Amino acid sequence: MTTTNDTPTQARPQVDRAQYGLSGFLAVVGAYVVIEAVGLAPGFADQSVQPDAFPYVVGTALLVLSVLLAVATARGDVAEAEGGEDVDLGQGSDWITVAKLTGVFLVAVVTIAWLGWAIVGAFLFAASARILGSRRLVLDVIVGIALALLTWYGFYVGLGIPIPAGILDGVL
Amino acid sequence: MTIVVAYSPDEYGRAALRAGADEARVRDEDLVLLNATRGDALVDPRFASDEHIVEVQDALQEQGLTAHVRHEVVPDIAAALVDVAREVGASRVVVGVRHRSPVGKALLGSVAQRVILDAPCAVLAVKP
Amino acid sequence: MEMLLEGFGTALTPTNLLYAVLGVLLGTAVGVLPGIGPAMTVALLLPVTYNVSPSSALILFAGIYYGGMYGGSTTSILLNTPGESSSVITALEGNKMAKAGRAAQALATAAIGSFVAGTIGTVLLVVLAPRVADVVVTLGAPSYFALMALALFAVTAVLGASKLRGFISLFLGLAIALVGTTTGQPRLTFGRPELADGIDVVVVAVAIFAIGEALWVAAHLRRRPLEVIPVGQPWMNREDWSRSWKPWLRGTAYGFPFGALPAGGAETPTLLSYITEKKLSKRPEEFGKGAIEGVAGPEAANNASAAGTLMSLLAIGLPTTATATIILLAMQSYGIQPGPQLFDAEPELVWGLLASLFVANTLLLVVNLPLAPVWARLLQIPRPYLYAGILFFASLGAYSVNFDAFDLGLLLVFGLLGLTMRRFGLPVLPLIIGVILGPRLETTLAEALAISQGDLSTLVGEPVAVVVYIVMALLLVGSIVGPRLRRTAPAHEDEEEKVDVR
Repeated sequence: MTTTNDTPTQARPQVDRAQYGLSGFLAVVGAYVVIEAVGLAPGFADQSVQPDAFPYVVGTALLVLSVLLAVATARGDVAEAEGGEDVDLGQGSDWITVAKLTGVFLVAVVTIAWLGWAIVGAFLFAASARILGSRRLVLDVIVGIALALLTWYGFYVGLGIPIPAGILDGVL
Repeated sequence: MTIVVAYSPDEYGRAALRAGADEARVRDEDLVLLNATRGDALVDPRFASDEHIVEVQDALQEQGLTAHVRHEVVPDIAAALVDVAREVGASRVVVGVRHRSPVGKALLGSVAQRVILDAPCAVLAVKP
Repeated sequence: MEMLLEGFGTALTPTNLLYAVLGVLLGTAVGVLPGIGPAMTVALLLPVTYNVSPSSALILFAGIYYGGMYGGSTTSILLNTPGESSSVITALEGNKMAKAGRAAQALATAAIGSFVAGTIGTVLLVVLAPRVADVVVTLGAPSYFALMALALFAVTAVLGASKLRGFISLFLGLAIALVGTTTGQPRLTFGRPELADGIDVVVVAVAIFAIGEALWVAAHLRRRPLEVIPVGQPWMNREDWSRSWKPWLRGTAYGFPFGALPAGGAETPTLLSYITEKKLSKRPEEFGKGAIEGVAGPEAANNASAAGTLMSLLAIGLPTTATATIILLAMQSYGIQPGPQLFDAEPELVWGLLASLFVANTLLLVVNLPLAPVWARLLQIPRPYLYAGILFFASLGAYSVNFDAFDLGLLLVFGLLGLTMRRFGLPVLPLIIGVILGPRLETTLAEALAISQGDLSTLVGEPVAVVVYIVMALLLVGSIVGPRLRRTAPAHEDEEEKVDVR
């Protein structure tokens, strides 16, 4: 399941094209902030900082940064991806695993109100562990259920925070 | 023909290597050592250092044995062992086995067990 | 002084002592564990501690902060993987020492040096912080606005490799901070009622630190395991002691002031300490091969700067490191307004926290020296469990804020943003600080302009403000010119800097 991405680090292209995507994203965010600022009604007449003042500044700055990033990218600026204790940049990135995890997360978002934390939490742990390369399904599920139940009861009894139980309401 | 040994730098791996070397001498065959890791933790004590591998190789050479060492990161160690056994047309696979509690048996998959079931040839399971 | 004694009264109650021990152990563990740092841990624990008393929670967090520093140096020495920029220098000599069979001594000098530096740093903090707070509290809104701008600017432009990326990150953070309600109308809420109160900073912090990191590691899952150097009980002989104590003191002298400055951080003082020790050493030839001075000095500098960081956090209310930022966030979520008034408004809390720093420091030494071999075993935890666990607890944390699936969705969105930032080398810290300081920046500016009735010149109407702006200008010039004078930069970096001149 987990793809071992064996492609060696491709020779860095002269232009990091993906960075144009980031630049575009910044432009969209900046534009949205500015448009929103235009739509804001003025506050009180004697208000020193109008509600649209900061959005204008931030939005404009984002637009400018977006252009600067595009220029820098065109000139051959390459992003220095963040290393870290547990990240080996020597190997290519495996986006499939990330996509799968995102999927699991979306399922959790959609189902949590209905199924409750105990079930969704257990699913989240077991499924993530599986996607991340664990091969011990039974153990993953048992650990997931144990963690979910422990945290649920821990919050309920220890901290006095009742997490909604979902369909298990009354069972837990 | 070839003898495949599942090696790790601990007592189980050493036991397997001893048995494998004996087999290789008796049957006059080559040795292939597989020292693999799933590479899913920052540190894996059962994955030998490069220097250690060189030492092992030298020691085998002194005993007059021809040995190849595969030192790899693989998704699944049992499957990798079986693959290597198929690839080199092994006559024997040698694995070290450890004592396991009933709970451990229920929860954890055993590399040795899967190799015994899946290997294309005879499997020698040794205890340290 | 009696305030501090009362503080010890707070810190040494059985409950709080328990929290301190828990914090120190947890902090060291996450410092050792790959991919988890103290900032992420404190962020993950924020929701859990809503129902704990503020002083206990802060004592826990302080323990995690100090413990994390210690744990980080352990992995630098044993694995040569500095988890945080502050322990990069430690790894230089520390790992060499370990390879030469002197891991025990390297760990010992790091631990004892951290204790010495942390204790001295905390003493300085206790003495200086109230005085600084007394001064800062007299400053008007224009000066405070300038100080905030300086902190934002320093974190963005001075730390980190690329200024362009620092600013991108900062303004993304400020944009996130704009979401909410202002003068009775929704701003940037995408029409969602859930966003009317703004985006919960806890969710942003957990997402960026925990989910972003977990996804980033997930994209780089497999790798050859590293070789860990086996270690026994840390210890030092007489010679090691005599070679270590001066570097400890000098490192402390570098670390504290740099940590206390809004632009400080731990990178500069650790580097300075390293250079100094190399220069002063009677055996400069040992440097690069495992000189104990090269571990002792930077480790002390590193911990002293952590104490310094707390100074600007407590006395001025401005965070300069990731962990300090999250601790500030914790204070805000308890309804405590960080800033110079803190010492007057919450004496019990502040002095309890300060006293607990001494406790945490001592605990670190007592608990951790014998435990070093145990910590090293943590490195064998398989990644699937480690990161599935992080995703699990991050979700729990975000969900428990409001029990709303919407927060989980936000967590995912910002987690993906965190992943993107790591892919493109955008630093995380400016974004988080932007999210937290953004609203305060707006209110402080409003305050300043309300007094002057909209006259913008008031912003430079106070001497302190003027000085701060001059410092900012000097920093800007220095950070652009400095690197060029020192080295001929590689082509692409040079280009990046040209683009940055704005």
